[in-house]
Amino acid sequence: MRLSDTLLALLFIAVAGVMIGLTTTFPAFPGQKYGPDLFPRILGTGIIICSLLILLKDRRAPISDRLPALSLDPALRGKRQLISFLLVPGSILFYIFVADWLGFVPTAFIILSGLMLWFGVKVWRALLIAVLMTGLIHWFFGSMMRVPLARGLFMQMIYGG
Amino acid sequence: MTKMNRRTILSGMAAAGAGLAMPGIVSAQGKYPARPVQVVVPWGAGGGTDATARIIAALLEKDLGQPFNVVNRTGGSGVVGHSAIATAPADGYTIGMITVEITMMHHQGLTDLNPMSYTPLALLNIDPPGVQVNASSPYKTIKDLADAIKAAPAGKFKASGTGQGGIWHLALVGWLTAMGLKPDHVPWVPSNGAAPAMQDLAAGGIDIVTCSVPEAKAMIDAGKARSLAIMAPERNPLFPTTPTLNEMLGIKYSVGAWRGIAAPKGLPADIATALTAALKKAYDSKEYKDFMSSRGFGVTWGDAGQFASFMAEGDKAMANAMKSAGLAKKA
Amino acid sequence: MAAISAAFGLVFDPVVLMTIVFSAMFGLFVGAMPGLTATMATALLVPVTFFMAPVPALGAIVTATSMAIFAGDIPAAMLRMPGTPASAAYADESFAMAKKGQLELALGANLVFSVVGGLIGVGFLIAAAPMLAEIAINFSSFEYFWLACLGLMCAVMIGTGDPVKGFLSLLVGLAVGCIGIDPAAGFPRFTFKNVDLMSGINFIPTMIGVFAISELMRGAVTADQAGKMVQEKVGALFRGIGDVTRRYWKNVIRGSLLGMAIGALPGAGADIAAWVSYALSKKLSKEPEKFGTGHIEGIVDSTSANNAAVGGAWIPALVFGIPGDSITAIVIGVLYMKGMNPGPTVFLQNPQFIYAVFIIFILANLLMLPLGYAAIRGARQILSVPKNILLPVILMFCIVGSFAMTNSPYGIVLMLIFGVFGWFLEEHGIPVAPLILGLVLGEMLEMNFMTSMIKADGSFLAFFSRPIAGTLGVLNIIIWGVLLWRAFSGRRGTMAVLEQVK
Repeated sequence: MRLSDTLLALLFIAVAGVMIGLTTTFPAFPGQKYGPDLFPRILGTGIIICSLLILLKDRRAPISDRLPALSLDPALRGKRQLISFLLVPGSILFYIFVADWLGFVPTAFIILSGLMLWFGVKVWRALLIAVLMTGLIHWFFGSMMRVPLARGLFMQMIYGG
Repeated sequence: MTKMNRRTILSGMAAAGAGLAMPGIVSAQGKYPARPVQVVVPWGAGGGTDATARIIAALLEKDLGQPFNVVNRTGGSGVVGHSAIATAPADGYTIGMITVEITMMHHQGLTDLNPMSYTPLALLNIDPPGVQVNASSPYKTIKDLADAIKAAPAGKFKASGTGQGGIWHLALVGWLTAMGLKPDHVPWVPSNGAAPAMQDLAAGGIDIVTCSVPEAKAMIDAGKARSLAIMAPERNPLFPTTPTLNEMLGIKYSVGAWRGIAAPKGLPADIATALTAALKKAYDSKEYKDFMSSRGFGVTWGDAGQFASFMAEGDKAMANAMKSAGLAKKA
Repeated sequence: MAAISAAFGLVFDPVVLMTIVFSAMFGLFVGAMPGLTATMATALLVPVTFFMAPVPALGAIVTATSMAIFAGDIPAAMLRMPGTPASAAYADESFAMAKKGQLELALGANLVFSVVGGLIGVGFLIAAAPMLAEIAINFSSFEYFWLACLGLMCAVMIGTGDPVKGFLSLLVGLAVGCIGIDPAAGFPRFTFKNVDLMSGINFIPTMIGVFAISELMRGAVTADQAGKMVQEKVGALFRGIGDVTRRYWKNVIRGSLLGMAIGALPGAGADIAAWVSYALSKKLSKEPEKFGTGHIEGIVDSTSANNAAVGGAWIPALVFGIPGDSITAIVIGVLYMKGMNPGPTVFLQNPQFIYAVFIIFILANLLMLPLGYAAIRGARQILSVPKNILLPVILMFCIVGSFAMTNSPYGIVLMLIFGVFGWFLEEHGIPVAPLILGLVLGEMLEMNFMTSMIKADGSFLAFFSRPIAGTLGVLNIIIWGVLLWRAFSGRRGTMAVLEQVK
């Protein structure tokens, strides 16, 4: 997905504008000239200036060089390609919403095997690798590095608590 | 855990509906801890709080036979970690190290959490603030410095030691107020903790640092800084040559940064008792004492009840101090 | 002399040597995993070292951190996934080399020059620690403010393509860094009462997002077609290194010295060292136009620099008990615990311990050659894994790594948001590296500006009133002036061309 430089610049200007707007609610730093609002305002102004330069350059470019307002990367035109692409953020979302409840082990297994199957890995191979990798990650991160991976239903079944 | 137990629980879970954690069952089994315990630390790896928590966790692990995993939940001036402890399930499998900030943050309006949001388990350490100056400073005693501050126009001296509204800032404010000066007579230069403040002191960027003496120890040993006094009722046995404010100026002001272990509110009483007993054992161990004295940290014990009343008092004192310093959020 | 031979006796003890080898392997593994940093490795070693004698305890930390900083280069080159923040500066460059079929040269250079840089850093630590620490300690907020400004310049210098877009990316990074409790007044900015946002935008999940996740999203489109992530086998690792050394030996020395010096400054570590030396390399290069296209020169500088910074960070830590970076912050605690109180007297009280640490430092860097070689060889297996298996596995590592940084799903959320955002930016020709640099430097810049203003009662002149600050300030104004003038005149050039086309 690609916006034209003009649209991109307008988008950044809008975001910077909101940012500067929000700083008006910031309190002053008692006894000081500059407060917490100073830096966001400088940065917002800088973003707006850069965006204006980009906008200006795009407007001055010959029409033939300009991109349409919105265009899609040709690599993403196919339905299957688009789904593959969306599966990456999709899997992360799945983990965020499900891991706590289900537990790390089953969630990781579902993501790993699911993605491998979609990408065309043979079934037994995908399942085997998913099990092995889930185990490896759980051992290294969970046990060795003591990262508090989600326990969820899975661990409650095993440990009962 | 035997197979029998597991099956009992499984059927129990099926009855209650899947997904519900049941702390009651765990404690009813009388076997705590049955699995690894998380020790949440609201401050980053490498700091004094983190180091203290890791030692305590290692000792608890040796004593209770389950891993006690230190988990750093940092940021937001301590809000993130403190709220992670308070909002965890009260099943004894998440405890945490809470610090003096819990009696301060809610007055600043940063969070709604306060000491009442926890089940206190044990108080482990208190460090009073000191008054440090650059080694080349003309002020040899706290009295010289106090007189110079009083004589100077407001804003001439600058002090640092922690962030705006942090515990060492309040220490400064308390001391100034006790001398009859305005809280902002010596402006506060916020810093990212005691170490950068001490460096700035050595570099000549500021005049006074009111962090605790152990935090200033390295610079003092290196001959770059001098500690003029501590704001405590008595001298610290580890730094016997540093006088107290009371001895030198007759000011009885004392505050301190403290660290303790607490659990989420509503922890079953049997687990709480077990943990406090284990913490007492860890506190009394040679390893803990050696570690704390190697860093120069003060050791103070308070059991669950003492810790609770200690925090309640501290909270009230902080409310007053912060209000008078203009650091509390106007309601 | 007696102390030195005693130190050798302490180090060449079977238990100590075993500890070193094990921590080396631990460090390599941690460094190569995204989200697991050298700092985390050190923090995890603390409870272990508590029950150890001083020399193996410190040896374990020294070895693990040196290895981790190097190992971060491996996934950066192979998968565009920096294993530690210290590799972020040149992740794009070494990945571009891998795509060009020069993966072995990139990794070989990473290994060899990491070792050289590490040794030079240690050399200075041994020879000149007290003197260098004396200089570093004179830096106050005024000097740090100017340093941060110089650091920002790197973003403008390293950029390829449109400088305005590079600058925009830097500003966005700085703006994102404003989220959270502000460093001076303690007011929560842009947090919308959210507890996680109060902790700010953690830059490691952000880095994993913009570098790795955006790459995975692009890679997923073709993942079901047969093929590898990188079409390249690792051949002879050290072939071509001789040539590179002959051509760029000055870069190695320059990168190492710069890395050591930046490491020695409290508050700036291996990651900033890598950025600055990469930018300087481009600035001083005879062929700056090749940077960003898979050119080895900048990698030589920065891969030496980040390992030299590891040793440099110990300088203020040993002499003044002031951490040079987050790793040495933990080391200082261990030093106290072991009765080796930091201070100028540390060299007098227990000299045999300090010398033993130095010997281990050298040993660890030498050990890096064979172990690093083995690690790269092992990692080579990864490249023979088909893309449709590798991609899901890497994704899982990214998720867990980001989780590990915040110990909560917040890290994963950040990774996701910045992964999509990073992809969006790159689609529009906006580079993502300056965004990360802005995030790294933002707090340093603002904090030091605000505190300087409080100290100076609002007078700008104070920024020039101290000798080092004044020099740095003038330097800043000159370099920024030249940069802006060039950008402006360059811009006029393009405008002129455009008008001709019209």
